[in-house]
Amino acid sequence: MDINVRKRSQAQLIQLRGPLRMGPAVDGLRQALEEVLNGGDTRIVINLAEVPMIDSSGIGLLVRFLASSKQRGGSIKLVQPSKFAVQTLRLVGVLNLFEIFENDDAAVESFV
Amino acid sequence: MVDKPVPGSRSRAFSELLNLSMPASPESVAAITDAISKILVELEIPESKRFEIDLAVQEALANAVVHGCNGDPSKSIRCRLNKDEAGHIVITVTDPGPGFTPETLKDPHQPENLYGDHGRGVYLIRQLMDEVQFDRGGSEIKMWKY
Repeated sequence: MDINVRKRSQAQLIQLRGPLRMGPAVDGLRQALEEVLNGGDTRIVINLAEVPMIDSSGIGLLVRFLASSKQRGGSIKLVQPSKFAVQTLRLVGVLNLFEIFENDDAAVESFV
Repeated sequence: MVDKPVPGSRSRAFSELLNLSMPASPESVAAITDAISKILVELEIPESKRFEIDLAVQEALANAVVHGCNGDPSKSIRCRLNKDEAGHIVITVTDPGPGFTPETLKDPHQPENLYGDHGRGVYLIRQLMDEVQFDRGGSEIKMWKY
């Protein structure tokens, strides 16, 4: 999985490409999120437009860091999850925990 | 592809499309999931159904690696993919572990479990597949997609 992290206004924007599943993908995103939070940034946008699959370990990672960021006054917002990613998040009851946006700009600006 | 009768299947013809034994590692999970996905494409399984099978396979294999083998790559997991004459897809994942009792699993929808970082795999499998059966005390899962 490709993971690209960059500062965008007052948020950290994480762009993912590839399946978010057990192994290097989940380990890499965990490391990226830990670095972002340890750096003091709690406003996080994750673009899922190019993520065809999220497995249960990926979901666990997202909700755990959503809780961590919220505890520190921030949040994790999702951009363009695929139809199947939305279906998966809904199946396990966590879809409504996240704010979802059509594009990066709208997600970043929502933190204002 | 090998056509052969399966014991106990009342002479229903099964095609064995894949039968692999691999080290219990995340890399094996990804490799088997991708191999099955490729076969499903060749079988012209509709995309929505294919995605559901792919994710169920991913979850079953991940459970086998993490819980059945404690993440020890010196242990092996086995995965078989079959198609019956009605076109139903049947996937079997076997691990060498002690198994588990599916009835004891938590409901991920309960408020106290929503932010948990695990405990959704078997629930997802049951939602994604049409029929799920645990054998060998839970160390083997068989999943059907009609």
